[in-house]
Amino acid sequence: MKDKTPVLTRRDFIRGTIGMTLGASIFGLQWPGGEARAAGSSLVTIVRDKNAMDSAKNVDITVLEKMLAETLTRVTGQTNTKDAWLSLVKPNDVIGLVPTDHLNPTHDEVVDVVKQSLIDAGIPEKKIRRAAGGPRDPKKCDALIALPGLKAHWLTGIGTVLKNYILYSGSPSSYHKSDSAKLGEIWNLPFVKGKTKLVLVDSLYPLCDKGPQADPRYQWAYNGFIAGTDPVAVETVCLKIITKKRKAIRGEPWPLSPPPICVEAADKVYGLGTSRMEQIKIEHYGWDHELLL
Amino acid sequence: MNAGKLNLPKAVGVWNRPDAPRMINASNIFKYMNGAGELYLAYRFRHVEVFNYTSADQDNILVELYFMEGSDDAFGLLSLDWGGEPFSISGFPAVTSDKHFTSPTRALYGGGLMRLWSENIYARILAECETPASKEAVFALGKAIAKNTTNPPELVKMLPLEIGAAWKLRTDRLSFFRSHLVLNSIYYVSHENILDLDLTAEAVIAPYERISDSGGPKRSQFLLAQYENPERARRALNRFHDAYLPEFKKGITADTAADSPSLYKLEDGWLAYKLLGKYIAIVFECPDQESARAILQKNESSLLKKGGDHER
Repeated sequence: MKDKTPVLTRRDFIRGTIGMTLGASIFGLQWPGGEARAAGSSLVTIVRDKNAMDSAKNVDITVLEKMLAETLTRVTGQTNTKDAWLSLVKPNDVIGLVPTDHLNPTHDEVVDVVKQSLIDAGIPEKKIRRAAGGPRDPKKCDALIALPGLKAHWLTGIGTVLKNYILYSGSPSSYHKSDSAKLGEIWNLPFVKGKTKLVLVDSLYPLCDKGPQADPRYQWAYNGFIAGTDPVAVETVCLKIITKKRKAIRGEPWPLSPPPICVEAADKVYGLGTSRMEQIKIEHYGWDHELLL
Repeated sequence: MNAGKLNLPKAVGVWNRPDAPRMINASNIFKYMNGAGELYLAYRFRHVEVFNYTSADQDNILVELYFMEGSDDAFGLLSLDWGGEPFSISGFPAVTSDKHFTSPTRALYGGGLMRLWSENIYARILAECETPASKEAVFALGKAIAKNTTNPPELVKMLPLEIGAAWKLRTDRLSFFRSHLVLNSIYYVSHENILDLDLTAEAVIAPYERISDSGGPKRSQFLLAQYENPERARRALNRFHDAYLPEFKKGITADTAADSPSLYKLEDGWLAYKLLGKYIAIVFECPDQESARAILQKNESSLLKKGGDHER
């Protein structure tokens, strides 16, 4: 008997029926059939400094500290770094820092600056740990700070925010193929859900094609932090920057392939945040050269 | 072939390598490179040998030698991106033809990274920080790796470079692959494997670009896949039709190889396909029926001429 289950294809993206097809195939009834739900606006900040790295890509810690302080106060609306952190985490929380460890890793300097900033805010050092491994890591944490590197990914389109928790699933390879659309479900695992207090994307030296393996032809000094508390909104802004950079490189539209459907699914199926640009408020501070927005 | 036979230099410039490489195979490739490993497993992969050339005062140079089952697989990895500065290696001449695709180069360099295809090896040589000295070292390593020339896969030579006076093959966007994951990274078709591709199949995709088009170039994507036998090709095309064209009546049967191509008007232009024995030819995004038909027919003629038998 012929299988009538619809298959997601290129045509769905052209027709705008991606949601309908995903709903009928991968996600079943979870995909909302109606209009987008009402939601408030999500703030995403972009803080850049042209001196964050030198021409040899050495990172200036002092500049990073200033960028982080600017990010924290802007994201939280607090007046200083300490209050900003304490509006996001509790002093007794065990805090997991979740950098990308592998292939175009998050700069160590970024992790170090975040850690030191937390310590300066009064969080005991022993309560701060790296949590970039398997499911045991988030289970030991009360709060998570996601610190992914900005990069395109050849299997999922983008491999930044949502993909950063893939090891928490315990079976990362199961999200490499068609099920990459389900990356958002990892964020709703009982030992992960609600723990992410800040997403801070290391966009000092992003990769806009051929990720996750490094290819210097597609990397550039953006010298920025992209941050917010809504992981989907942050990912959506990251997508926009990568897409614009790709167009700038080729001089014509160069869409990510495969299309990063995990982002829309994270919004519509898993309720992790918004992927709709009209619901995202982007605030930029600092260096505005090739902002790509 | 292994690195010992390649005789990679112990020292190049101020950089030195360890005696033995780090060995990566299919069982630990994800530990080494996470999801990037799927790319190599999407071709017929044997193992990777990794050498880290280090220096007291310079950033490292990473050499990764991907040993594949065949030259076709190594070519396929290079063909995913023809960008970069072609690197000429002595005794490694580029073969040229005005009739069919020939690899424009075997080694490409850009930003500190050299990618290279030599026999069954695909190599990546990456200087962490590009300097004149590191570039010289990368080129020296490239020369040490690149030994013999081999020809591109037969399948890629099937594609005519021009379709009449109207269409020209974009050879700089031609890619050879065996997996739908790789196809999707070049030209997204479906998250599912609706063309039934696997390591026994071979496929090539490239755009034909309309010559002298005002208002920007018009491109139509042409895909040619070869299966183990005609029955597998027929099943694959049936599956493709069911998934991609579910609202259309199917225009293929096992015996339609001699007929005209099946043509469908879709949202992004005309799609045409044809079953050609153990081959499937599909063209996407054509501006009109005539173009779709012409691209398929010219490729069919080329296939008959070069490959001969469709094995009907």
